[in-house]
Amino acid sequence: MIERMLNTRLAGWIDERTNAVSFIRYHLIDYPTPKSLNYWWAFGSIALVILIIQIVTGLFLAMNYKASTVATGGGFTVAFDSVERIMRDVNYGWLIRYMHAVGASSFFFVIYLHMARGIYYGSYKGPREVLWLIGVALFLIMQSTVFFGYLLPWGQLSYWGATVITNIFGATPVIGPWLTELVRGGFSVGDPTLTRFFALHFLFPLVLFAIVILHVLALHKTHSNNPTGVEQKSKKSVIPFHPYYTVKDLFGIGVFLIIFAYFVFYNPTGFGYFMETDNFSPANPLHTPGDISPVWYLTPWYEILRMIPSKTGGILALNLAFILLFLLPWLDRSPVRAATYRPVFRQMVWLFFVAILVMGYCGHHPVTPVYNLIGRIAGGVYFGFFLLLPFVHKFENPKPLPEEEGA
Amino acid sequence: MDDKDKGRRDFLYTVATGMGVAGAATAAVPFVRSMQPAADTMAASTTEFDLASLSPGELKVIEWRGQPVFVLHRTPEMIKEIRGHNQMLKDPQSRAIPEVQAVWMKSEAQRIDRSIRPEYLVISAVCTHLGCVPTFKPTPGQKDWGNSVPSDWPGGWHCECHGSYYDLSGRVIKGSPAPYNLHAIPYKYLHDATVLIG
Repeated sequence: MIERMLNTRLAGWIDERTNAVSFIRYHLIDYPTPKSLNYWWAFGSIALVILIIQIVTGLFLAMNYKASTVATGGGFTVAFDSVERIMRDVNYGWLIRYMHAVGASSFFFVIYLHMARGIYYGSYKGPREVLWLIGVALFLIMQSTVFFGYLLPWGQLSYWGATVITNIFGATPVIGPWLTELVRGGFSVGDPTLTRFFALHFLFPLVLFAIVILHVLALHKTHSNNPTGVEQKSKKSVIPFHPYYTVKDLFGIGVFLIIFAYFVFYNPTGFGYFMETDNFSPANPLHTPGDISPVWYLTPWYEILRMIPSKTGGILALNLAFILLFLLPWLDRSPVRAATYRPVFRQMVWLFFVAILVMGYCGHHPVTPVYNLIGRIAGGVYFGFFLLLPFVHKFENPKPLPEEEGA
Repeated sequence: MDDKDKGRRDFLYTVATGMGVAGAATAAVPFVRSMQPAADTMAASTTEFDLASLSPGELKVIEWRGQPVFVLHRTPEMIKEIRGHNQMLKDPQSRAIPEVQAVWMKSEAQRIDRSIRPEYLVISAVCTHLGCVPTFKPTPGQKDWGNSVPSDWPGGWHCECHGSYYDLSGRVIKGSPAPYNLHAIPYKYLHDATVLIG
């Protein structure tokens, strides 16, 4: 059916003037994809669907949201009230808001799995280094986007989370305090901060979308990795993207949407992880809530920040944590891609994933000697993974690699 | 690919695509609905008015759903006047379009008077030409209004923007640029001296 549409005279007319049909054929239909991809490869397209859901729900929320900290009595503000109006008065506003909140957590859940696939199967290795770099950049843009967005409801955690994180800029040598004031637009997080964060939160997802296009273009140049880690070059080992992976991806998206729908309709607060209880209280600049921690998807990075006993040290550690992620393709020197065939690397990778989960768990809890210790051990594993990597290939005995299929 | 199964494949594709389209349409509904007036806007959709605040012959212009509305306490002379000059009106029976008619127009008299009770007129104040609020010129003839009204002026409203004329029932007079009578609006009596508009 798609073939028939692409073969019409109208399609030919458009193609003569834009290359649109050839583009679609090349990238979406004929694009040669390895036969052996498993469902770990489905998360990329699922993430794209979530991004679109976030942009659409976000746009419709923006039609009714008001970014203003003007007081409306009883500790409430115009911004907080506008969210409650969306929940109560706007037709299906509650649904759109819940989709956006559940979507945000889903986005990070899916991207973490997507990144895990990249690390486990060595998709970051040459010639896919740029693909990986663009991906890590996308991850950082996602974090900024969610940070700007979280301030908007102007709840307790919105306000105090923004205060804590904007304070981090204060640690920059020389220009620290000036920079913090610049980001906030005032001496503390306030109305100017809210309005500019709204503007930035609206903009960043569109920037994200544009860079996702670059991400896919980079992928299509090198073609996809596969679970064996062995490049599939022969004609017998690849299949056209359509209909095989269009249908498979649609199935993956379908499974995701079922789980998404469960949370949106039956558990939108996600047991207090998707929408945190404290944020249903309006912001009080004079009182910080007892247990303050970021939303679950930012907790591992928050723990890295906290585990170093000095303010500057913590910030440096956090920066280093991301820089190491960027450097991954050059730190790992083994010519073997997939962890399946690398016994030492495989153990390291699982430990690495567990360490991130443990850091996240600790980051969620207040600082106690026990959590501090466990968090630091996990942090040691995180950084140790990167520091050990350049040496692994020297003493690792990779398993024999499978032959290319159909070669 | 096997042509033997082409029919089955086409069926599956068609059904799957059909479901996808149905799903997309269903998903679009809440978003479109969210753009329609919200509950608080709808709650602001009625206005109460105390008719006792009007002396005979007095006009008030009030706001309803953000729009101007005429509330006029008609004298017996005014009521007699509106029943006697059908030939100068474009649409004396208010039948031209649905907007000049109302649910409460049950009897012929109500249709002519364009009110539930003849003493009080509650009608839209938006000129059906291009939307100005016409000026109240209730007394017949040119004595009070000079040349701004024609010599057979029955009393009513004169829209100063482009020269449309309406009688004391808000019905448009022939020769006016405005095509229709002033629109009727839903209202009802809560008790003898109070109306609920909307």
